[in-house]
This record gives sequence, structure tokens and C-alpha cells, in this order.
Amino acid sequence: MINFEEELKNFKPSLEVEEAEQAIYNHELVDMTDMMQEMLREFKQEMQMSGREA
Amino acid sequence: MKCYNCGTQLNAGVVCPGCGMNVRIYKKIIMASNAYYNVGLEKANVRDLSGAIDSLKISLRFNKMNTDARNLLGLVYFEMGETVLALTEWVLSKNYQPEDNRASHYLDQIQHNKGSLDAINQTIKKYNQALLYCKQNSRDLAIIQLKKVLALNPKLVAGHQLLALLYIQEGKFDLAKKSLRNAGKIDVNNKLTLRYLKEANIGLREQNPNRKPKNEELISYQSGNETIIQPKYLKDTSAFGTIVNMVIGIIIGVAITSFLVVPGVRSVAQSAAKAEVLEANNTISSKNQTIASLEAQIEMLSGQITDMQLDGENTVSQVNSYDQLLYAYLKYEEGDMDIAGDALGTVDEEHLSENALQIYKTIYAKVNEAYLESLYTDGYLAYSEARYEEAIENLKKAVDLDETYQNGAALYYLAQAYRKNNDLESAKPYYQKVIELYPDTERAANAKRYVQQ
Repeated sequence: MINFEEELKNFKPSLEVEEAEQAIYNHELVDMTDMMQEMLREFKQEMQMSGREA
Repeated sequence: MKCYNCGTQLNAGVVCPGCGMNVRIYKKIIMASNAYYNVGLEKANVRDLSGAIDSLKISLRFNKMNTDARNLLGLVYFEMGETVLALTEWVLSKNYQPEDNRASHYLDQIQHNKGSLDAINQTIKKYNQALLYCKQNSRDLAIIQLKKVLALNPKLVAGHQLLALLYIQEGKFDLAKKSLRNAGKIDVNNKLTLRYLKEANIGLREQNPNRKPKNEELISYQSGNETIIQPKYLKDTSAFGTIVNMVIGIIIGVAITSFLVVPGVRSVAQSAAKAEVLEANNTISSKNQTIASLEAQIEMLSGQITDMQLDGENTVSQVNSYDQLLYAYLKYEEGDMDIAGDALGTVDEEHLSENALQIYKTIYAKVNEAYLESLYTDGYLAYSEARYEEAIENLKKAVDLDETYQNGAALYYLAQAYRKNNDLESAKPYYQKVIELYPDTERAANAKRYVQQ
């Protein structure tokens, strides 16, 4: 049985044209490649730090 | 495929030829992104739009630079009525790849049609207003508002779903089903649509428990994107049946035409032909009458022309007579009797008036006498000098004027001149006259002798 109130929560307001600019700015732009690069950078940094300690 | 580090075009190897970075994992990421894009494309082709959205989002999570996936995602959003989401994706796509990007075309299409963009914005505002009404428990207002929105933007899937939810809440399960079917046409495998549809069917069954189950009467099956529901015992029309029906229809049509339509048309045609023949005959007879009257007119006018010509000739003759009379009078006064006499000879007394006739007779008498004398003298002289032709000419004129002149001497010498001119036949009539007029004279005796030759 459908609960009207619960179902209503699933409906979000549709974006209006004036909100398009904000939506673009807030868009998540991180993909797997960025994450991989981030991981590689962190790995390099750790390697450098452990090399100094040694 | 380009290196994520330096942008160099990668080859088949696992190392970038430009910067030497290991690109094995990077290539796997790209391939995964493309694989999800392909899945999303397949789903979009069969109108599973919500499924396509999920796949394309995953594709973009792997590779945000996958322009094709982003453009397709925008298209799918646009098809579902979410215009602003579509614009967002296309703007991002154009930002990542400014050149040679299909997203530019999509954005131009929307931006050039400002009226359309305003209308879309209005429908979005109305939809949000309807959602607010729902949350405020004003379901009737929300239904009215949603109907307006869907009339303006029939592709808004969320609008159909929300309207169906409201109908389900109101207990109007048939209307809910109708709304959900509309949503199903746009996005076939939408989970929300399918769930609401199931609820609506349950609700309908509960409302009509005595109704026979549908599957005893009806058969339903999928044909492409549509669900076909038909009675169980409906005969499917085959090609042979269609052809047989067509042949029967043609036969019936030909029979109706030949027995009902053709005789009527023929009789109408015959009546029309008869009427035309009658009219033609009337026209011919009236034309004949016209021709006859015109011929009569021509005849009358020809007669008038002839009369006028005669009048003209008479007038000319009359003028000529007067002219000659005047000329004769002039010559008479000059004393030239020969010419005056010739002129008088051409005058027609009938054309002269009373006064002119009197003048004519006066001149004639005086001229005639002198003329006659002149003619006789000249004629006799010519006869004496054996100029017979000249003699004949003069003496004949004298005889024509007065055959008894000089007691028939002119007559006698004329005959003599003819005879001596070897024309006895012309002389004989004149000899005969001498005999008749002067029977007991010597000239008559001579004439008798010449006549008997």
C-alpha cells in the first residue's frame, strides 16, 4: 500500500531556468581519473616522506 | 585517447609516449566509461530513460570528459521534461570540449527560441507550485495545476507520476492508470511508474471484485514499446481475408454502379443531348429567317443601286444634252453650221425642258437648213470628183435629216455613190425609196434598172 506522504518526499522540485547557473557550479566534477591522480599524488608524497625518514 | 598527465595521444602500449606515465589503469577507467555509455545508449534506444540515466551517470563517474555520454544524458533529461538538467549537462559538455561538439547545436536550438524557453520555465514553476499544493494537502488544486502543466509539457514524467499518486490517493484508480500509461510511453521501465501501476491495478480489483479477471477475456502482449490488449476470440485479420473482403466490396460496387448509377447517368445524358439538338434546330431556323430577310434587303438595295445608276446616267445624259445644245448655239452664232449641226444631232430632246426645247427647235430649224445645204453641196461635190466614201458620208447625213431634200436628189446621189463604190446592196434601199417617192421621174426609171441588176 502506498503511503502518500512518504511517496511525496521522493518528489523533488524541478530546477527552474534561473537556478541553472547554480546547478552548474554545484555539479560534482570529480571522476575516477581525478581520484586516481589524487591517489598517485598522495602515494608519491608518502614515498618521499618515508625516503627522508630513512 | 589522450594522456591524463600531458595530453599526448596514447598508443597501444601501457606507457605514455610523451611523459612516460603508466596509463594501464587509466585506459581501464576509460574503457569502463565507454562500456557504461554503450549500455546507456541501448537503454535510451528502447526508451528505458531512467535506466539510461543510471548508466550514463556511472559512465561520467568514470570519465567526466566522456562528451558523448554527457550529451546523451542531456538528451534523456530533455526527453523526460527536465530541461534545466539537460541544459546543465550540455553546458558542461561544451566547457570540456568547445570544438566539434553536438551540445552546441542543442544549446543553440533552445536559446534561439526564447518563447519556448519561457514556456518551459513557466511549466516548471507550475509543477513546483503543484508540488507545494500537495505538501499543503490541497490535492484538488494540485490536480488542476498538474493538468495545466501536463497540457503544456506532456513529456514531464514526474508530473504524470505525481498526478497518478494524487488520483490513487483520491481512489480514482482508472485515471491514475491513464496517467501512468502516459508516463510509461515516455519512460518505459521507470520503477516508480511500474510500482504505482501495480498499486492502481490492486485498487481497481478491490473496487470491482465481481468483474471477471481480465486474462480470461483478454489477451495482452507487447508489440515494440506498446502493450496490445485485445479480446481473446478476436480473429486476427489475415492478408487473404483482406483480399477477399476487397474483392467482395469491388463486386458490390460494380453491381450498384451498373444497375443504379449508369442508367440514371445515361438518361440524363440523353435528355441533355435532346435538349441540345432542339436548341440547335431552333438556332438554325432563326438563322435561316435572318438569312432570308437579309437576302430580301440585298435585293432591294441592289434595285435601288440600279435605279440610282440609271438616274445617274440620265442625269449625265441630260447634262450632256444641255452641254451640246449650248455648244451648238455657240457654233451657230459663229456661223459654223457643220459643227453646230453635229452637236445638235447628239442632243436628246426628251432631256430638255420646255424653254430649252424651244431654243433647240429654233436653232435646229436654222442650222438644219444651212447644214443640209452644206451637206448636200459637199456630198455632191465629192460624188462628182469620184470621192464616193466622202460623198456617202455627207449625203447620208443629209438624207437622215431630210430624205426629200432637193426633190430626192440627195437620196438618188447617195444610192449612186454606194453603187459606184461597189456596194450595190447598200444602194438598193435608197433606189427603192426614190422609186416610191418619185415614181414617174427619170431618176426613178434609172433606179428601177439598178435595182433589177
